Amino acid sequence: MVLSMFSAAATGAQTTATSEVKLTPQEKQLVANFDRRVKDYLKQRAQVKKKLTPLSKEATSAQIEAYQQAFVSGLRGVRAGTKPGYIFIPAFTQYVRTIIQTEFPPRDKAEIKQTILEAETKGVPLKVNYPYPETKELSEMPATLLLKLPQLPKEVKYRFVGRHLLLVDSDNSLIVDYTLNALP
Amino acid sequence: MRRTRNLILGLTLLILFVTGAVYGQGGTSNKAKPNGRATGNGNAHPAAPAIKLSLPNRKDSVKFLIIGDTGTGTAKQHDLAEIMLRSRASFPYEFVLMMGDNMYGGEKPADFKNKFEDVYRPIMAQNVKFYASLGNHDEPAQRFYEFFNMEGKEYYRFTRANAAFYALNSNYMDKKQVKWLEDELAKDTSEWKIAFFHHPPYSSGGKHGSDTQLREVLEPIFVKYGMNVALTGHEHFYERIKPQKGVYYFISGAGGKLRSGDVKDKSPLTEKAFDKDMSFMLAEIVNNQLFFQVISRTGETVDSGILVSKKKQ
Repeated sequence: MVLSMFSAAATGAQTTATSEVKLTPQEKQLVANFDRRVKDYLKQRAQVKKKLTPLSKEATSAQIEAYQQAFVSGLRGVRAGTKPGYIFIPAFTQYVRTIIQTEFPPRDKAEIKQTILEAETKGVPLKVNYPYPETKELSEMPATLLLKLPQLPKEVKYRFVGRHLLLVDSDNSLIVDYTLNALP
Repeated sequence: MRRTRNLILGLTLLILFVTGAVYGQGGTSNKAKPNGRATGNGNAHPAAPAIKLSLPNRKDSVKFLIIGDTGTGTAKQHDLAEIMLRSRASFPYEFVLMMGDNMYGGEKPADFKNKFEDVYRPIMAQNVKFYASLGNHDEPAQRFYEFFNMEGKEYYRFTRANAAFYALNSNYMDKKQVKWLEDELAKDTSEWKIAFFHHPPYSSGGKHGSDTQLREVLEPIFVKYGMNVALTGHEHFYERIKPQKGVYYFISGAGGKLRSGDVKDKSPLTEKAFDKDMSFMLAEIVNNQLFFQVISRTGETVDSGILVSKKKQ
């Protein structure tokens, strides 16, 4: 059986779904402040990270575990007393809800919700400075939604747990912040 | 006369010896281990005949294996790994592409050992490299793991001969990754561009189905830059999708789990599907042809075919 492969050139007219959200001046300010708070976390993170033995790109599983534990421990120390909402202030939560409600047609909105809510995340603690449990599924962040949300630095990620939005560290799974009901 | 009688006797003994040896490999072994493995509860038969190849198995071709959703550590995963190992005896694939969900449940060192190292050690011992992508059950820190060859990156590219392989993180397809993919593809002159990632943009699965939001972002890029093939997992079965806008989509997500009967009947997307048992794919690139063969846990071939690349000018 020979399956013919067509040239892709003929379909070059299609566009990618990378269109940015058009921000009002107030929203620009909101996003700029959000970015600043994320950078504040990155500074704390860098302080802790420089004290750790760097993790090799070909690490053993034991080295990865030890690195993550030391990282979390160090971050908990420098972030002791951090309250939820330090990064995800209420206005930002409302901004996320507005994006989901206004930037997507009904069908896409329904699919986004389905993707987020089908993940088995029951039992993930909504607690700042706690690690996201390694035994729990990480909900897929819908690609179209990620393109509309403010881009995060690679050190942190958005994650949904049910309708709640978390900010999670990419290297050690620490829950940096969370906000309730970001998914309308 | 006596010489003739000795010759006949010798021949008879030889025949008995050969027959006994063949019987011993097949029948005796199966009798002793009805479930295939001492530790297994599956139905694979390690002493079964060699796996029939439908691949050309050329000397200088690019040979690889595709498997997804492996990380369980179950006896059935071991059974399938044994078939993978046996396949290599006749088809010496050089590397394995992993479609994500490399580690279900915990990710402690014991999990890496039980769900990956112990399972694939005999294959890795033959210098076969595993290249992983991340699924929704995988912590991003897996990118540092020595045997996943991700070089600390959640998405990355590597090449072999005339083929470029793109490992994507479909669990987190953000602007940065999209830009990286476009930038890499824009300068890629490889004859074969093959993406592998976890979530299938097209699927006939009843449990999950097509990831339309991912498709909305990736498909225009694949089409624009001539991605030939997209290999995915997430669904715990095998499916070959009818070509979509010139791109071939495969699901190979039954490497450690099976969702039996999950492929929707009469799905308009399905070219071929198999959801009766666990499976993996073998692939071989020979110039502008990609040969594939899908093998089940019992060593049966459940699909095979040839893709032909028409390189974008």
